[in-house]
Amino acid sequence: MSADESTLRAEPVLRTRGLAMHYGQGAGLVHALEGVELEVANGETLAVMGPSGCGKSTLLHLLGGLERPSEGEVWVAGRRIDRLSEKALARLRRHAIGFVFQAFHLMDELTALENVELPALLAGHSPGAARRRASELLEQVGLNDRAGHLPSALSGGQRQRVAIARALSNEPLVVLADEPTGNLDSAATLDVLRLLDSLRAAGQSLLIVTHDERIAATADRLITMRDGAFVEETRLTRGTTGSLGDLVGLER
Amino acid sequence: MPDAVGVSMKEPTRGYQLRVVQEVLLALLATEASHGYQLRARLELALGPLAEALNEGQVYVTLNRLEKAGLVTSKRVGQTDRPNRKVYELTAAGRARVVEWLDDTSWPKPAPAEFHLKLVAAAAAGLGDPVRLVDMQRHALLAELAAAQRAVLAEPDGSVPGLLLEGVVLRLQADLRWLEACARYWNTTKGRR
Amino acid sequence: MGRALLVGRLAARDLRRRPGEALLLLLAIAAATTVLTLGLVLHGVLDKPFERTRAATAGPDVAAAGAFSDATKVRALTGAAGVVAHSGPYPVVAAVLEANGHTVVAQTEGRDTAKAAVDQPKPTKGGWVRPGGVVLEAAFAEALGVGPGDRVVMKPLDARGAPGQPPSTRARGPGRSFRVAGVAVTAAAPPYPEAACLANLCQGDADTGLVWLTRADALALAPDKHDVLSVLNLKLADPAAALAFAAHRNPPRNGPAPTSASDPPTILQPWQEIRDGSANIVRNQRRALLTGAWLLALLAVASVAVLVGGRMADQIRRVGLLKAVGGTPALVAAVLLAEYLVVALVAAATGLAVGWLTAPLLTDASAGLLGSAGARTVTLSTAAIVTAVALAVAVAATLVPAIRASRTSTVLALADAARPPRRSGRLIAISARLPVALLRGLRVAARRPRRVVLAIASIAITVSGIVAALSAHADLASGANDARAHQLNQVLLVITITLVALAAVNAIFVSWATALDTKHSSALSRALGATPQQVSVGLSAAQVLPALAGAILGIPGGIALIGIVDPDKTTMPPLWQLVAVVPATVIVVAALTAIPARSGARRPVAEILQSELA
Repeated sequence: MSADESTLRAEPVLRTRGLAMHYGQGAGLVHALEGVELEVANGETLAVMGPSGCGKSTLLHLLGGLERPSEGEVWVAGRRIDRLSEKALARLRRHAIGFVFQAFHLMDELTALENVELPALLAGHSPGAARRRASELLEQVGLNDRAGHLPSALSGGQRQRVAIARALSNEPLVVLADEPTGNLDSAATLDVLRLLDSLRAAGQSLLIVTHDERIAATADRLITMRDGAFVEETRLTRGTTGSLGDLVGLER
Repeated sequence: MPDAVGVSMKEPTRGYQLRVVQEVLLALLATEASHGYQLRARLELALGPLAEALNEGQVYVTLNRLEKAGLVTSKRVGQTDRPNRKVYELTAAGRARVVEWLDDTSWPKPAPAEFHLKLVAAAAAGLGDPVRLVDMQRHALLAELAAAQRAVLAEPDGSVPGLLLEGVVLRLQADLRWLEACARYWNTTKGRR
Repeated sequence: MGRALLVGRLAARDLRRRPGEALLLLLAIAAATTVLTLGLVLHGVLDKPFERTRAATAGPDVAAAGAFSDATKVRALTGAAGVVAHSGPYPVVAAVLEANGHTVVAQTEGRDTAKAAVDQPKPTKGGWVRPGGVVLEAAFAEALGVGPGDRVVMKPLDARGAPGQPPSTRARGPGRSFRVAGVAVTAAAPPYPEAACLANLCQGDADTGLVWLTRADALALAPDKHDVLSVLNLKLADPAAALAFAAHRNPPRNGPAPTSASDPPTILQPWQEIRDGSANIVRNQRRALLTGAWLLALLAVASVAVLVGGRMADQIRRVGLLKAVGGTPALVAAVLLAEYLVVALVAAATGLAVGWLTAPLLTDASAGLLGSAGARTVTLSTAAIVTAVALAVAVAATLVPAIRASRTSTVLALADAARPPRRSGRLIAISARLPVALLRGLRVAARRPRRVVLAIASIAITVSGIVAALSAHADLASGANDARAHQLNQVLLVITITLVALAAVNAIFVSWATALDTKHSSALSRALGATPQQVSVGLSAAQVLPALAGAILGIPGGIALIGIVDPDKTTMPPLWQLVAVVPATVIVVAALTAIPARSGARRPVAEILQSELA
């Protein structure tokens, strides 16, 4: 690994400084986020949990450039994004950030394959290259046989997997997932869980906002938010599995 | 039996107590007599990665206890390379015990009472913020969940130990849901003060 | 490359998803483009044929009319500077013509059987004059329904008769029977039904046609042999100088009246005036068509804006998605606009095709010139103008909503929360005092103010067009010229029907969209005790109130339109017609919107309220 690559690797893929978000004014002033300091290293998976209204979705929107913060800075791969124009943010979302939403948000009139190749076409790649990449990704998520189906013909879990494939289309630096299993039943949740785990194992940086403890458990690091601020943080990765036995109480 | 008092507090563990190693060995002997090492092998097959927690001699220690209690008998079978290979066999009393165990529907009780009282005490005595305690506990459990889940994902589809691990994961998830309810409660109660 | 494909693909899929709306959009714009094409095609339809006729008949550069019994007067003109050839003077007599059951006044020119140097009318059927034989001007012959070989009777016209009286009462004597020797075209006077005034010499009524006889036969028809006026045709070295030549020698317009009837002044008419007179036939048609086209274009903008408004609201989630996945606002706007531009282009092509096919119905009126029937061509500039107008309509209606949609915050767009209905506290308070139906009507209308404005605008435009058409119709009814009036009336009818049809479609669509938009609140009203009749009347009221406003606005609008299009027209439609337009509009709109309103009010309440949860 060259010196440049190692510095690149060392650069956190996401960083915030003093991030705050307010809505409304006067008596109706809502502090959605307050003084958030966050860093996500390259290749790391971070999970953010918290009760409804704690600001975790707002945090995700700000990190992805979907909204502008009231105060503070957001950095993506060493580039400050909170003051960029809509057009520059769009380009950012093409190349650096992939999104996965709770409601999937697939285009109803495009097939699965066409949905996955959407970001590549937006980035200006040739239709042939975009299609090839989309096929590869659908294969990766195990939906190759459904490539020609419309979203209405896919189950919830399948739709979300297509959405994940779409998020990976332009090899983003980080994938931001907002309650990816919020609309899924337990079986579909497991499918998505496995997929997220395989992405993590492949070295993809992920930031997952979730209610689901199992999804959160796939992360390297977990943060709990409450009332717009971080309250607790833990490393979830353990070196040994020796404590497994403790879990089932095999000592006597 | 509840957690032993002397368990180290550094890595909080919550064992679902298996009072079961004894009964399992009895059950495994129901069809045929076995050597000790065979019994151990079958236990390991069923437990998968968790079997590492089994002590080396735990099976033999347990078999000894069972023999002393008259539930099994042992016979020494001489072998050329390894002396002292005992073959164990169920007695009538042991068989009766197995039947009793199979029919027993008692379930290990989850034990939230202790944690619940911890929160109440902390709030009443002003020793600590209950919400903060809940968050810490949640994170500890989530770490355990993460470990268990990783083990689940590592197992092939349809493996027997995988099923056990899935059970561990789901129980932890249930406990976490209760902790979330605790957090909601103590958050608003706090607000009311 | 990839982006272009994406825009195209999304536009195609979205059009395919709702083909009915796409068709409506197409019809709205195609109506405007068809009428515009017709108007533009007629624009150039007569210049060429007139040139052709002039060339083929050696048409005069200047036609002079007067008492040319005095040879010096003749020489003064034929020997003037710039004159290279002449023919005549030919006597011109007004006579009564009876042919095929018609009795009309005919302008009769006495000619030689030999070919003239200037102005030799060219027979399109049969031959030239001979003793006992009459040649009619081509359009005149067609209007009368006579051809070579038919018999007509010509009688002298009594000069003492008043011009307004029917020709049959002004004939003198039994007259003489002539055989039609031929049918010819000329460039010395405009074709029938323009008044056949040779060199501005009109004898008798405005509704006259031109015929030619031999000199002897023509003079035989003159009531008074000494007062015969003549026509002298001149050819100049420089045809363009004809205007100056005539202006120089004509008596001043407001000058003293002629001193005596026996010495009438000589009037000169340059060929450009004759050409303009020929164009008069279609000038009014063209004006009606172009005005109609602009009205239809405006109406199309309103219709498209209404259709687009509803569609954009549905698209808002797609907008959010595209932006989240990396689409710039420009690309999002392009995706939104592309499908409408495609529809506009197809509508332009449709309008051009339909206009080209139906143009002969209008241009064949000018049979009195050579080769006019085949002269309807859609030139490149016409196609360009029509396409530009179609695109302009699409852009005007969709640009603002598209830009506004593409600027929506991504987060709001994804949550589909971007277009809540407007609330007007005062209106709600006012409407609380009204009967239930009106209350509902006002509140429903107030939810979408832009739609109300568009509904008012479209009715106002339509009513303006109707008022203008009524005025034109009244003008024609008071005039005399039958064939011209008939043609023009046909054109006006077509335009009016198109306007009304488009406005009707617009009204139905607005009503249907409103019913959909309010189905939740309607269901709630019914759950709270309103009857279905009250709800459906309320929905109708939401359309009828703007229609009333639009109709009232349309009347002064129409009058203003008349003033713009034809400043010197003074005929107003009868007052009862003007007043009747308003209630007629209201009734028609109420009837049209009743059906969507009724169906909207009759769906089961539970079903609607339940579907909100889905």
